[in-house]
Amino acid sequence: MSSSGPTPSSNPQVKALNCPGCGAALTLRSFSQAVTVVCDSCHSILDAQDPRLKILQKFQVETSEDPPLIPLGNRGTIRGAQYEVIGFQRRTIRVDGMPYSWHEYLLFNPFKGFRYLTEYNGHWNDASVLRAIPVSSPGANTLNYLGETYRLFQTANAETGYVLGEFPWQVRVGETAEVSDYISPPRVISSEKTDQEITWSMGEYLAGRDVWKAFKLAGNPPQAVGVYENQPSPLIGHVKAVWKLCAAFLLALVVLIIGFYATARNEQVFSQSYSFNTNGKTEASFVTDVFELKGRTSDVEIDTQAGVNNSWIYLNYALINEDTGHAYDFGREVSYYSGYDSDGSWTEGSQKDSVTIPSVPPGRYYLRVEPESEYYRGTIYYSIALRRDVPQFSFFGIAALALLIPAGFITWKFMNFEHLRWAESDYSNSAGSDDNQNAGSAAGIAGGIGTVAGLIGDALDIADE
Amino acid sequence: MRNAFFIYGLTILSALAWAEYRGWSLNRVDEVKNVPRSVRDNPGSYRSVYGYYHHYTGGK
Repeated sequence: MSSSGPTPSSNPQVKALNCPGCGAALTLRSFSQAVTVVCDSCHSILDAQDPRLKILQKFQVETSEDPPLIPLGNRGTIRGAQYEVIGFQRRTIRVDGMPYSWHEYLLFNPFKGFRYLTEYNGHWNDASVLRAIPVSSPGANTLNYLGETYRLFQTANAETGYVLGEFPWQVRVGETAEVSDYISPPRVISSEKTDQEITWSMGEYLAGRDVWKAFKLAGNPPQAVGVYENQPSPLIGHVKAVWKLCAAFLLALVVLIIGFYATARNEQVFSQSYSFNTNGKTEASFVTDVFELKGRTSDVEIDTQAGVNNSWIYLNYALINEDTGHAYDFGREVSYYSGYDSDGSWTEGSQKDSVTIPSVPPGRYYLRVEPESEYYRGTIYYSIALRRDVPQFSFFGIAALALLIPAGFITWKFMNFEHLRWAESDYSNSAGSDDNQNAGSAAGIAGGIGTVAGLIGDALDIADE
Repeated sequence: MRNAFFIYGLTILSALAWAEYRGWSLNRVDEVKNVPRSVRDNPGSYRSVYGYYHHYTGGK
């Protein structure tokens, strides 16, 4: 709704006539361009080209018939030009016996000609007749128009159920046309095929609030229900941008991993082997020699290796700062079991254990160790080793997940939108087999088709368009 | 959305770098203050928080 253009006079110029059927006053807004005009009182379709306004058809109107949301005669600015609503019709298709109706508003500007506003379940399209014929791809349900590919979404027979106002063609209630919609959101190309002709038109999705603003209508437009065939995804353009950023961050993450592994001290500060006599009655606890933890505050990794076999050893550890008396108290169990049963051989546990003590300030430390085990299991040999400033790979994994999850969620939301769109299509099943697999692949998700990488790739393709 | 994700990603990487720099760990340990120096001479006088742990003694 941009660019300027000529506008009709601000004073409506209409031609006053009377219906030959009921005598009600008629209004002609498109002058000689009107071919048929409908009497709103007796629902007669009249020949506007005939000076006597010959009655061409009379039709019944159901009491439940919806009046136009934009009253006839209203003027609004579309693409910089002022148009007047001169005609209104309801058209219906039937899918599996279920009727689906939409409304078409015929707009007229004496300098620009005709264009249409269509409305279905709160979704609007601004449509106009195409000057050139789109090129169809042989063997594929696609069209090409001005370098853009449009995918066949739906084909159905549309029946005109209600008309109001005037039309530049011989309109009739009950007339049918085969309507095919080809989409490339936010645009749609529609073909209307009758026995006499094929008409091509292009529509572009409009938000209801933009229509209300253009026609300065009071209140709010009807809430849009569901996802419409050419409704642009709110995430269009975001998916690829987010994945690009995500890739950049993952690359930065790899650089950080390399950097931290290259610069970490990863220094062994203590290593000693011990034995624990489970038969002993004396105090089992002991302290190690003092060792120094250098550098900045960082972690300490304590590795325990024990010669346990179908047994366990539990070690109560306390890493104590000799100067401050500050202790890090923790316990570790090392247990290993193995055997053989009807399922074959099995093992459980491990003879090794590793634990990381977080954020230990530098200083002189010693370990207080108190081993425990079952009584009378003989002597258990074990060793303890401490390393200072060891990079924690788990954080890198968490960071990678934290980056991937939102990107994946946005992609899922995007694909879910496409799935909802194509769920309404007659051609969603074949969508994935065509060359241009964009939205069709999203529909394929429901069937569990394709790999995650493929789906993400497809989503990026769609998001790029 | 792009800007939001950019800020989010920067926050994640900054948090990661800080966590690595400060030596954070997913393990939890109890901290005890003012352990007496006498523990070095008499290790049995220190009572670990994790004493009397109920040990698994089974296997498959």
